[in-house]
Amino acid sequence: MESLVTNLLNGLSWGMLLFLISVGLTTVFGVLGILNFAHGSFFMLGAYLCMQVMHVVPSFWLGILIGPLAVALLGIVIEKFLLRRVYDRDVSFQLLLTFAILLVLDDAVRIIWGAGYHVVDAPKILAGTIPLFSHSYPVYRIFLIIIGPLIGIALWSFFHFTRWGRIIRAAAVDREMAEGIGIRVPLLFTAVFAFGSWLAALGGALAAPHQSVAPSMGESIIIESFIVVVIGGMGSFPGAFVGALLLGLLESFGTVFAGRAQMALPYILLALVLLIRPRGFFGREA
Amino acid sequence: MRKKLLAAILMFSLVGFSGLSPLWAAKPVKLGFTYIMSGPFATYGQFAKKGALMAVDEINQAGGILGHPVKAFFEDSTGKPDVALRAIRKLVYQQKVDCLIGLDSSGVAKSVVPSIPQMKTPLIITHAATPDVTGNVCNRYTFRISLNLAQNVKAAASLAAQTKAKTWTTIGPDYAFGHQSWEYFQKYLKEIKPDTSFMSKDKVAFPPFKTSDFSAYITKVMQSKPDGVLVSLWGGNLINFIRQGSEMGFFNGDFEVLVTLGAATEVLSALKDKMPEGLWVGSRYWFLANQSALNKTFVKNYYRRYQEYPSYNAHGAYGAIYTYKKAAEKAGKIDKEAIIKALEGLKVELPVGTIYIRPEDHQAVTDACWGKTAADPNYPIRILKPMKIFKGVDITPAVSQTGCTMK
Repeated sequence: MESLVTNLLNGLSWGMLLFLISVGLTTVFGVLGILNFAHGSFFMLGAYLCMQVMHVVPSFWLGILIGPLAVALLGIVIEKFLLRRVYDRDVSFQLLLTFAILLVLDDAVRIIWGAGYHVVDAPKILAGTIPLFSHSYPVYRIFLIIIGPLIGIALWSFFHFTRWGRIIRAAAVDREMAEGIGIRVPLLFTAVFAFGSWLAALGGALAAPHQSVAPSMGESIIIESFIVVVIGGMGSFPGAFVGALLLGLLESFGTVFAGRAQMALPYILLALVLLIRPRGFFGREA
Repeated sequence: MRKKLLAAILMFSLVGFSGLSPLWAAKPVKLGFTYIMSGPFATYGQFAKKGALMAVDEINQAGGILGHPVKAFFEDSTGKPDVALRAIRKLVYQQKVDCLIGLDSSGVAKSVVPSIPQMKTPLIITHAATPDVTGNVCNRYTFRISLNLAQNVKAAASLAAQTKAKTWTTIGPDYAFGHQSWEYFQKYLKEIKPDTSFMSKDKVAFPPFKTSDFSAYITKVMQSKPDGVLVSLWGGNLINFIRQGSEMGFFNGDFEVLVTLGAATEVLSALKDKMPEGLWVGSRYWFLANQSALNKTFVKNYYRRYQEYPSYNAHGAYGAIYTYKKAAEKAGKIDKEAIIKALEGLKVELPVGTIYIRPEDHQAVTDACWGKTAADPNYPIRILKPMKIFKGVDITPAVSQTGCTMK
C-alpha cells in the first residue's frame, strides 16, 4: 500500500513538471508549426535565472516570477530576429536553427555560471516533509502535484474563454485565414513563442529545488517532453496533460515492475502510439 | 679600432645572452592532457586543469624537469571515445608530447587504452576508475596513479563487514561503473563475511544515467527493506539522489549507507548543509586525510590560488606531473622508453601519500580514505570525521586477480 501511494505521488509530481514543459512545446508547435529543440534550454535557463535572482534576494517566489519573465523576453528576441526568417523555409532549417540556439544557450550558461552543479533551496513553507506511512514525503512534490493542474486549468480557460485564447487557436488552425480577418499573425507568433518559453522556464524554476541546477538539465527533459508531445498529439493541450501524466506514472511504476526494461518503456509507448495512432491521443488528423 | 670594438661588443652580447636563464634555451618537456572540457561534465576536466597548471607553475619556478621547462597542452575529449582518440593523436603526432596524462571517463579510457601502444607514448591515467585499464586491457604504455574502482570498493566492503548489516542492496548508475561497483562489492564482502546476502536483480536499483528524478528508485530500495545500501552514483546524479533521498527519509538510519564517491568536493560544495551528517562516504582523494607536510602545503597553495579545496581530479592531474618528474629524474633523461621503465616500480610521495606503481599492471598502490560526514564551523562544506584510512596494500587486489597479462 505504501509502495503504491509513494509511487503514485512520485509519478504524479514528475508528470506535472513534465506537463508544464510539454504544454509550452506543444503550443508553440500547434500555433507556429515549429518544433523548438531549444525548449529544454529555456527550461534550464529558467532554473539558472531563478537561482541567480535568489542570490540577490533570497526569495523563491521572486525567483519564479522574474526568471521565467526574463526568459520570455529572450524568447521574444529569438523569435523576432532568428525564427521569423525560417518560417517559410524547409522544416530542416527550423530544426537546425533551434538546435543551434540550444548549443549557444548551453554554452552561454556554462560561461556565465561555470560548469559545476548548483543547488536551489525550496521556500520555507514548502521545504518540509509530511509523514507518509512509515516514512516521509516531501511537501514540495505535493506542491508540484497541486500546482500542475492549477496552471493547466488556468491555461485551458485562457484558450477557451478569452478572446486572445480563441485568436491563438484560430491562427493555429488556419494561419492565412486568421491573417485574412485582420489578426496580426506575426505579433501573435512572437507572443505565443514568448509564452511557450515562459512556460518552459517556469518549469525549470519549479524543478530547481527538486533537482540540481546544472548545464545538462535541458538535455534529459527535452527528450521526454518530445515523447509526451507526440503521444498526446502535437499541438494538443489536453494531449500534453494526459501524455505527461502517463509518462510520469509509467516511469514511476515501471521501476517496480519492469526492472532493467524500465528505461525502454517511454520509447516503447512512443513506438506503439506512432504505429497505432500516429496523431497521438488527442491530435488532429494530419 | 672600430673592428675591435665591434668584435668586443659581439662577444659581450653573446656571453650576455647565454648567461640568461638556462630555461630559455633548453628544449621544453611537453605534457599532453586529455580531459572532458565541455558538456555536462566539464567540471571534471576543469578541476584537473587547475591541478595541472599549479603543478606546472611550481615545477617551472623550481627549475623545470631535469632543467627543461614544462609545457602543458590541453585537449577536450568531450566524453566520447572517438573524439578522445583524435585528441590524443593530435597531442602525440602534432604537438609531439613526451607524455600523455588524463582521462576521466571510464568508458573513454577503456576504448582508448588499447590504441596507446601504437603511439609509443606513455599515458598516465589520473581519474578513470574502471579496473580494466590496468586489468584485461592493460599494456606497458598505460599507467594509473589514482585509486581505481576495485580498490575503493574493497575499502567499502571492509567497512560493510564491520557493520551489523546482513542483506545489502545497491543503487548505482546504469552503466559499467555502477554494475562493476556492485559486482566487486559482492565479491569482496563475501570473502570477508560469507554469510552476507545480496538483493536479487529485480530488487536492486540502476537508474539510467540521464535520470534527474530518483524518487521511484529511492522508493524501490526503501521498500525492499535492506540492512545496507551501496550507493555508487556520482556527480550530478548523486547530488539529486541525496536531496531527494533525504526528503523521503532514506538517510534516517533505517539501514547502513555507503556512498563510494560521496566525498567528492563538487558534490559536497553543491549540497553544503543539505548533505546529511553521519554518512559513510569515500573518494579518490580527501584533502584532509593525509597529515603530511606535502599535503598540507598542497592544500594551502591550492586554496590560495583557487579559493576552493582540491578535488580528487585536481590532485590526480597534479600528482601525475610530479610522478612523471620523479620518473624522468630516475631515468636521467626525457626519453619515452626510459621513463616507462622508470615508472615501473616507482615510489613517489604525492599529497595523497606515498604511492607505488606496480610493475606488473602499472596500477598505483595507493591509500583510500573513507569517513563519516560531519559539520565543522571551520569549513563551508561537510568534512569527514572520523576518517578511516585504508592502506593501499590492504585494498589493492593481487595482480593475478586483475586479469592483466602484461608480464
